[in-house]
Amino acid sequence: MIRLYHVYKSFGANTALVDISMTVEKGEFVFVTGPSGAGKTTLLKIIFSAEKPTSGHALVSGRNLSRIKDRELSLLRRKIGVVFQDFKLLPRRTVLENVALSLEVTGVPSPMIRKKVHQTLRNLALVGKEEYYPPQLSGGEQQRVAIARAIVNNPLILLADEPTGNLDHDLTVEIMALLREIHSRGTTVIVATHSQELLRGTRRRIITLSRGRMV
Amino acid sequence: MKTSFFRHLVRQAIRNILQNRLVHLIGLGTMVIAFLVFDAFLLAFLNLDSWTREQGRSLTMSIYFKGEPKSSVIEDIRELLLQYPVSITKLISKDEAMKSLKKQLGDRAGLLRGLEENPLPASLEIILLRDVREDSLPYELKAKLEGINGVDEVQYSREWIERVRSIMGAVEIVGLVFGGLLFLAALFIITNTIKLTIYSRKDEIEILKLVGATNRFVKIPFIIEGSIQGFLGGLIALTILFLLYMAITAKVDLRIGFASLDIVFISPPFILVLLLMSTLTGFVGSAVSLGRFFKL
Repeated sequence: MIRLYHVYKSFGANTALVDISMTVEKGEFVFVTGPSGAGKTTLLKIIFSAEKPTSGHALVSGRNLSRIKDRELSLLRRKIGVVFQDFKLLPRRTVLENVALSLEVTGVPSPMIRKKVHQTLRNLALVGKEEYYPPQLSGGEQQRVAIARAIVNNPLILLADEPTGNLDHDLTVEIMALLREIHSRGTTVIVATHSQELLRGTRRRIITLSRGRMV
Repeated sequence: MKTSFFRHLVRQAIRNILQNRLVHLIGLGTMVIAFLVFDAFLLAFLNLDSWTREQGRSLTMSIYFKGEPKSSVIEDIRELLLQYPVSITKLISKDEAMKSLKKQLGDRAGLLRGLEENPLPASLEIILLRDVREDSLPYELKAKLEGINGVDEVQYSREWIERVRSIMGAVEIVGLVFGGLLFLAALFIITNTIKLTIYSRKDEIEILKLVGATNRFVKIPFIIEGSIQGFLGGLIALTILFLLYMAITAKVDLRIGFASLDIVFISPPFILVLLLMSTLTGFVGSAVSLGRFFKL
């Protein structure tokens, strides 16, 4: 599903990733961990092609991201749900509209959009919050809206960047259960986190980064 | 599917305008001012241009005869003039010419008493209807008329023609240069205004791209917004200009020398062109700004 070959990424003089080669199979659940600044976010950005590798290749769902055309990239991104560390919700659109965004861009008819959005919001315990604007919500609620937007169109891959970073213990447990549930439906899940609590006792594969290198 | 997709984009554009009212209002205000300056200049230019043209049209020529003209000579002239865009005003006989001279001299008419015979020629006045700038008509006509037996001389003011001609030339050059610069300035201001509206929403564009929106899906609402803004900007500018025009023409009697200058408002076809142009400016302005943005 995801293959990286000798990926390097630098921003000017700063090196973010050094010689990363890895494979994530279809249906896998993988943690990427390491301290802040280790390159976790950059690695995820490479996978959904928000950043291009400085050298090396990244293949996602059979597509080489170094050579992908704009339109193909748009189509590929519809198969990848991303939960951003800072949520990236549109503050002047309601919860309903924010979540619907992932479906609108694909040209799904409006009645279908409403149906799927409501269903997803129900699964994430956000019923009643449809007409709220993100700034009116708590951190945990915004986090769940971000997750709802990422999963509403049943992506093949779900990338979550510190999905529990702003949450208390109870909510963390809840969100992780949710991610496991999404995974159980066949979605490949990659979770980037610096939280050791999240990793404790897990039997999932853990990729550890340190200063841009895999250790 | 296609039409519903397009409908969605139009709806999105309208919603964006409403949601970003302040940014759009500032942009619209800037556009209105830019268009208003351009439209006002155009109004002044069109009126000045048509006024100078009018002056060029009313060229009077005098045909002087040897002695009293025979009716056959007049007939020959009439026949010749049929081929030209001229109108004959009146025939002035020798006696009539003398009477009018005496009238002009008034108290000093006594000066004429010593004359044994009337030295004034009979004449025919004609008015040229065609734009003198466009061909050598006055020169050609003068030569032909002077070829008719019984015609002594044909006179008209060459200087007047030359002057009108040079004024028209200057008006047009200044108009083109100044109008062109004004238009470029308007385009520059508008493009930058649109760029600001786009920058103010770059997060939205980023998120749309990240959830898999195609470039077209992101760009089209912006381009529709730009076009709507351009159209409204053009419409409001024209409306303001019209109101100003009404207010000014109702109060001020504009005269230049003896000729009163009737200011005419921009004609309906021209208004349509201006509206189309302002819409197009919004369209092109947003497309260009977006192009730059998407390269970043």
